[in-house]
Amino acid sequence: MTALDLQALLPLVLTTATAIAVMIAVTITRRHGLAAWLCAAGLAAAIASIASARECAPRHISDLLVIDSFARFYSGLILAGSLVVAVLSYGYLKLRTDRHEEYYILLPLAAVGSLVIVCSANLLAFLLGLELLSICLFALIAYRRTGRGDLEAAVKYLILAGASSAFAVFGAALIYADRGSLAFGPPGLALSSPVALAGIAALLVGVGFKLALVPFHFWTPDVYQGAPAPIAGFIATVSKGAVFALALRYLSTENLLADGRIIWLLTAIAAASMLAGNLLALRQDNVKRMLAYSSIAHVGYLLIALLASASLGRPAAAIYLTAYFLASLGAFGVVGALSQPTRDADALADYRGLAWRRPFLAFTLTAMLLSLAGLPLTAGFVGKLSLVFSGVSSALWLLLSALVLGSVISIFYYLRLLAALFATPPASEPAISSPNTPWPTTAALLFLTVALLAIGLWPAPLLDLIQKMAVAAW
Amino acid sequence: MTPVGLQHYLVLAAVLFSAGLCTMVVKRNAIGILIGAELLLNAANINLLAFSKYSAGTLDGAILALFVIVLAAAEVAIALAIFLNFYSRFASVDVDRGDQMRG
Amino acid sequence: MTLLYLILIPLLAGLAAWPAARVAPRAARGLCLAASLAQLVIAAILWQNTPTTGQWIETLSLPWIPQLGITFSLFLDGLSLLLILLTGLLGALAVLASWTAIRENVGFFHFNLMATLAGVTGVFLARDLILFYVFWELMLVPLYLLIRIWGGDRRVYAATKFFLFTQAGGLLLLLGILALAITHQRQTGTLTFDYLQLIGTALSPSQGVWLLLAFLAAFAVKLPALGLHPWLPDAHSQAPTAGSVVLAGLVLKAGGYGMLRFLIPLFPQAFPTIAPAAMALAVAGILYGAALAFAQDDLKRLIASSSISHMGFVLLGVFAANELALQGAVVVMIAHGLTTGTLFALAGAIDERLHTHHLDRLGGLWTDMPRMGGVTLFFVLAGLGLPGLAGFVGEFLVLLGAWQTSPVLAALASAGLVLSVVYSLRLMQRVFLGPKVGEETPRDLSAREWLMLSVMAAATIWVGLWPQRVLDASAPAVQNMQKSLSDAAGAPEARP
Repeated sequence: MTALDLQALLPLVLTTATAIAVMIAVTITRRHGLAAWLCAAGLAAAIASIASARECAPRHISDLLVIDSFARFYSGLILAGSLVVAVLSYGYLKLRTDRHEEYYILLPLAAVGSLVIVCSANLLAFLLGLELLSICLFALIAYRRTGRGDLEAAVKYLILAGASSAFAVFGAALIYADRGSLAFGPPGLALSSPVALAGIAALLVGVGFKLALVPFHFWTPDVYQGAPAPIAGFIATVSKGAVFALALRYLSTENLLADGRIIWLLTAIAAASMLAGNLLALRQDNVKRMLAYSSIAHVGYLLIALLASASLGRPAAAIYLTAYFLASLGAFGVVGALSQPTRDADALADYRGLAWRRPFLAFTLTAMLLSLAGLPLTAGFVGKLSLVFSGVSSALWLLLSALVLGSVISIFYYLRLLAALFATPPASEPAISSPNTPWPTTAALLFLTVALLAIGLWPAPLLDLIQKMAVAAW
Repeated sequence: MTPVGLQHYLVLAAVLFSAGLCTMVVKRNAIGILIGAELLLNAANINLLAFSKYSAGTLDGAILALFVIVLAAAEVAIALAIFLNFYSRFASVDVDRGDQMRG
Repeated sequence: MTLLYLILIPLLAGLAAWPAARVAPRAARGLCLAASLAQLVIAAILWQNTPTTGQWIETLSLPWIPQLGITFSLFLDGLSLLLILLTGLLGALAVLASWTAIRENVGFFHFNLMATLAGVTGVFLARDLILFYVFWELMLVPLYLLIRIWGGDRRVYAATKFFLFTQAGGLLLLLGILALAITHQRQTGTLTFDYLQLIGTALSPSQGVWLLLAFLAAFAVKLPALGLHPWLPDAHSQAPTAGSVVLAGLVLKAGGYGMLRFLIPLFPQAFPTIAPAAMALAVAGILYGAALAFAQDDLKRLIASSSISHMGFVLLGVFAANELALQGAVVVMIAHGLTTGTLFALAGAIDERLHTHHLDRLGGLWTDMPRMGGVTLFFVLAGLGLPGLAGFVGEFLVLLGAWQTSPVLAALASAGLVLSVVYSLRLMQRVFLGPKVGEETPRDLSAREWLMLSVMAAATIWVGLWPQRVLDASAPAVQNMQKSLSDAAGAPEARP
């Protein structure tokens, strides 16, 4: 291993070091603020190390990892997302009377798992990253242990994640049988043999579960509802983003999209996710469940970029994911900021008249919802535009019709929440007397909103960056 | 008598995998479900080792199997901690007791 | 840069009015009024300095998203100019009409109102198709909020319905725009959304029809054409007065403008295949709208339904596609903006005094408010097409033009004119004549209302008596449409 390898690995090293540093700090003194700031500082340093190492060429580190500009872009996205989650969690946990410090060990470890996933060049690395991410999430989902919901959510996630990663390991074994190695590429997987095909299918179960694609989506609403709001945001963004990046890399290094059956399968899954996600969201009065179902639909949209031609699809996926990260984290951030110590603000009634009670939070949530709906001048529009552009260019008309239909349905439930925000304030006491927002939460939400609008108004710099980084060949 | 070959391992793995899947689907006891998940992982491990020896000829599979054993142990550790909390709240490890969330 | 100012002035005024209203609501109102008038004055100056050659009075192009070939480019020709003038005038009317009616969240109200106006202005000016789509969607959110927050009893339902319909049409438009640009890119190698470059993209017949339908879907929802209209009566009747004025006066015009601006120049080959069906739909809309208006017992719903009928004339004019009919469609849009916009302002004034716009609870208002009655009669007559007023010129031209294409449809459409007399007179009879209902004695027009109504009346008379200036302004655009249609008809079958 050379110094350059080490430099390329620096984000991973720093994130791991963050977890260790917090662990040591906790053994010395239990202070919530200290743990939170160590965690945030470490993640920020890891982001800075990506920016400083931008000039490095793709580097293979042993057979397991590859650090190329694609991996760097998604690593940056993952670390930035984790940092925002860490800052939002500080305000969220502060209100709750329990020991918080271990949370900030688990969070960077989950980020490490996600980083390993996006950097992996080998099924072994992928499975390691996947398990690390899952195991940390089990603990994070159950972290509060106060309500009935969080333990139930953790148990559900535990069982289904365990089963799905067992499927992924089984699939890896079958693929290994076919090609005699666990490394990705070069293309040449014999899809004609039932063993390799079964392997891909089993792997798809593992990936589909993490991405919450139909028909592997059943856990999503329960887990989002039961998990602490910032962790629900983490599951919706970081965990999905990492696995999506891996899917993008794997499909193209193995050239799997040359096979008609796989295209057909992914098309069916994408269309079903868009429609089912949006239709199920329609009936929800619980905001966290609604966001959960809408996230299913959003990953369905993302699959359009996966199926489109690589030259347009890859940048479209990167833009869409960036926009989705901003908007989802923002939405869950607002949910977290409104939550009381005893329960999360997840009922639609909690949001009635918010615009007059808490204008900043209402404005933030409005911007996030409009972005999720893909309206202009938000990042979501730029994402949707690139996505539809790649789809039209590859003539994926079936998926595009599903997207139009799904988007129209989604408008309905986004508007329900939006309409609640601007409802005339009731004469009686509001349903939920939310505490004051701590300043780190305000800062994080402000950052997300500004980034969201800035990308919507002036997307050229981001598109340049993505063109440079997220499109690189491997 | 035919010597033990790749087929035998694959059949064993397939049986274990099906057994694990059945256990996970049928059992309502959290520990039982956990055992099912372990069976699934072990089925995968047997496959990995068999392919490593008979068809691929590299050690990748064996290494992955080692990692999977470690990961399974870590998973069980966290799982048991969560089940313990579950038990202290619901006085049972029947996963159907967690039925707060619907819709 | 003048074009940019036309968009920025209302937008910045709205942004400034938001905090200003906390200090003094009157200042916010004044600011927005001044911004609308400034827009009107700038447009009027541009009109005076119209060059005599070429279609485009002014263009502007700034880089925006170079990676996707999207620019921030605007242009202005006589057609846009007329609608910008209308925007300035109706913007001022909307501010004045809500001067005393809106008391809650004055700042946010004016921000939304001005943002809507900025969006509408942008739609009329956009040259880049994606920019057009951005403005098209942009006016949606503030207008939604106007209806949602300050609307009537069923405002949530109405606002959601409005948003859903428009968004569904809008997404098809986006697909159409992207497909058109990608086809153009495959032919020429450059990715652009510039209107002037996309004109002349060769499309196979089936491609042309599909794209035309995708564009038409968005415009027909806004216009609205029959079948896509269910959002309109709800949105108009539930919106606050200013919202109704902007909806009826400007947002519907965005649909008509889109048809005139894009359908013929971009798809001259496919256009004739659609035209007969669209004309039949237009005539059905004219008759249905008039019948619907007759059946309403709510003043605002009645006016809203009559809009469906009037906008049917626009659709008929666009698809009859000869010079008379196209010019007529332009004049109908202007005239309908002036008369229906003002009628909604009047309905708002009545609502402010009597807190109802249900016909059963109105009646005999002439005794207490003779001046308002007189003004209403004037605008009702202008709406039903009394010669000498704005409405007559446009609908007459459309009928003349349609007669050349299809005498049967023109004859049926003129039956719509007869029906419009019936529902208009019913409106007058139920609201102002007949026995008095209720105890209150509402006061007659205030000075502010006199001012705004007389300006609108003057504009209506002016367009009615001297339509030539209006026709001259839109002539270059209309002649270019004629040219592209005849070129396409003469040209051999397009390459696939």
